[in-house]
Amino acid sequence: MRQTSKILTMPEIVNDKTVFSLLEVTKSIQKTLADRYKSAYWVKAEMNKLNYYSHSGHCYPELVEKANGKVIAQIKSILWKDDFINVNNNFLNVLKEPLKDGIKILFHAKISFDPAYGLSLRIMDIDPGYTLGDLEKEKQETIRRLKSEGIFDRNKTLQIPTLPKRIAIISVETSKGYADFLKVLETNSWSYKFFHFLFPSLLQGDRATVSIKNQLKRIKKVREHFDVVAIIRGGGGDIGLSCYNNYELAREIALFPIPVITGIGHVTNETVVEMISFSNAITPTKIAEYLLQKFHNFSVPVQKAEAKIRDKSNRLLSDEKTKFGSEIKLFRSVTENILISNRNQIKENINSLVQQTRFRFKNEKDYLRAGRDEIKKGTFKFGTSEKQKITQFGLIMKKDVLFQINQAKSAMNNIEKNIDNMNPESVLKRGYSITMSNGKAIKNVEDIKEGNALETIVFEGRIFSLVKSSKKQKNNER
Amino acid sequence: MNDNPNYTEAFDELQSIVSEIEQGEISVDELSEKVKRAAFLIKICKQKLTSTEEDVDRILRELDSTTNENDAQQNGS
Repeated sequence: MRQTSKILTMPEIVNDKTVFSLLEVTKSIQKTLADRYKSAYWVKAEMNKLNYYSHSGHCYPELVEKANGKVIAQIKSILWKDDFINVNNNFLNVLKEPLKDGIKILFHAKISFDPAYGLSLRIMDIDPGYTLGDLEKEKQETIRRLKSEGIFDRNKTLQIPTLPKRIAIISVETSKGYADFLKVLETNSWSYKFFHFLFPSLLQGDRATVSIKNQLKRIKKVREHFDVVAIIRGGGGDIGLSCYNNYELAREIALFPIPVITGIGHVTNETVVEMISFSNAITPTKIAEYLLQKFHNFSVPVQKAEAKIRDKSNRLLSDEKTKFGSEIKLFRSVTENILISNRNQIKENINSLVQQTRFRFKNEKDYLRAGRDEIKKGTFKFGTSEKQKITQFGLIMKKDVLFQINQAKSAMNNIEKNIDNMNPESVLKRGYSITMSNGKAIKNVEDIKEGNALETIVFEGRIFSLVKSSKKQKNNER
Repeated sequence: MNDNPNYTEAFDELQSIVSEIEQGEISVDELSEKVKRAAFLIKICKQKLTSTEEDVDRILRELDSTTNENDAQQNGS
């Protein structure tokens, strides 16, 4: 193109008119502009589109200036392949971002006009520091807006389940981070079991914003199945992460109904998404470890509880056994003591009983002896006096008896005299007789019948006769 | 007594049994029953750690369903 400027042409006259060819005009413009804008200038603008052509390696950025959302200036620009490579490397170093669409740039450019391609700015250099400041401004703006809306800490205030076992993963299936994450989760040596489901998404660069938002929308639809969302980006260095400062994405995550954990895996400036997420782990492996730790927090106390219960139960039982044993020992010793003391008591009682009995026996014996002596003495005394009395009685009786005998003797003598008079023999002498029947004196004449044998006693003999007749004499017949 | 506790309930009940035992509030008479219950709860807790009941097919069906987000929110709440 430069070589074309060396060709000088002249206008021709046609019908009295000076006529320029298009090339002559554009060349003139080119020359005028080249004379007017000799040096390069620093210009600030918004780079709407980078328009990188991978085939040629050149870029044709679309530059605009906006006021109140309206484009008030725009111009094409050119960034040649070599310049692009330099600038892009600077950006990667300073911003950790490649040169990309939609950033504000401060660039060093020459105004260039080419007859074939028209007006454009030829960008020679772009100052990454300016863009950095702008990106930082965007990040600060996102933070400010989230805070002013009161949602900056919203996701952090959610309750994560005790066992966050169902994980919605936003990642790239083939990425190293995803593989690392699953490996740590699934090969854990405690056999903790997780459920995970991949929602594939771009994770860096401008398009990641929309891609992640779309997947968050899908997760929302099935959110009852999940405890936590993990955004996992692994490998790929720390380039293209300014999407995580995007307000729309950050807002979506802040307001997400279940905890969002990030493992974006870069080391420099923390992005807004990382700041507002429920928990931020530096790497995917750390997220997995964070989740495992949650399981530990549950599992370890369970194990401790198990050990404690075993321990305490055993101790309780052995304590009871010991207590019981000592109770038995105590019981034995107490009962033994009681037995011994009772035995001693009994022994003492026996002794005392024996002593008292002896004493009592002795007393009784003494008493009896005294009684016996008394009785003996009394009896003797009594005997003696009775003997005297009897002797006196004897004497008195003897005297009385003799007196009575003498009296009786004299009475007898009188009676003897009378009796003698009464003697049947004397009676018989005087002529009386006694008639008897069958050996008995007859007292009643009615007992005698005719023919009875009678015996009649008379003085100095007996008469035997038979009854001729008998007759009862009347009283007045006498 | 709840025979199908979730893990938080199982865990809490387990902790309360531990503290009862620790503070000596359990007599030898109750011990066997309590230890049996604790073993049951420990088993449940361990099961929760090592198993999951989610169904991938169901999630896929729900993702494909035409239900929009607002409906899902209404149903969910």
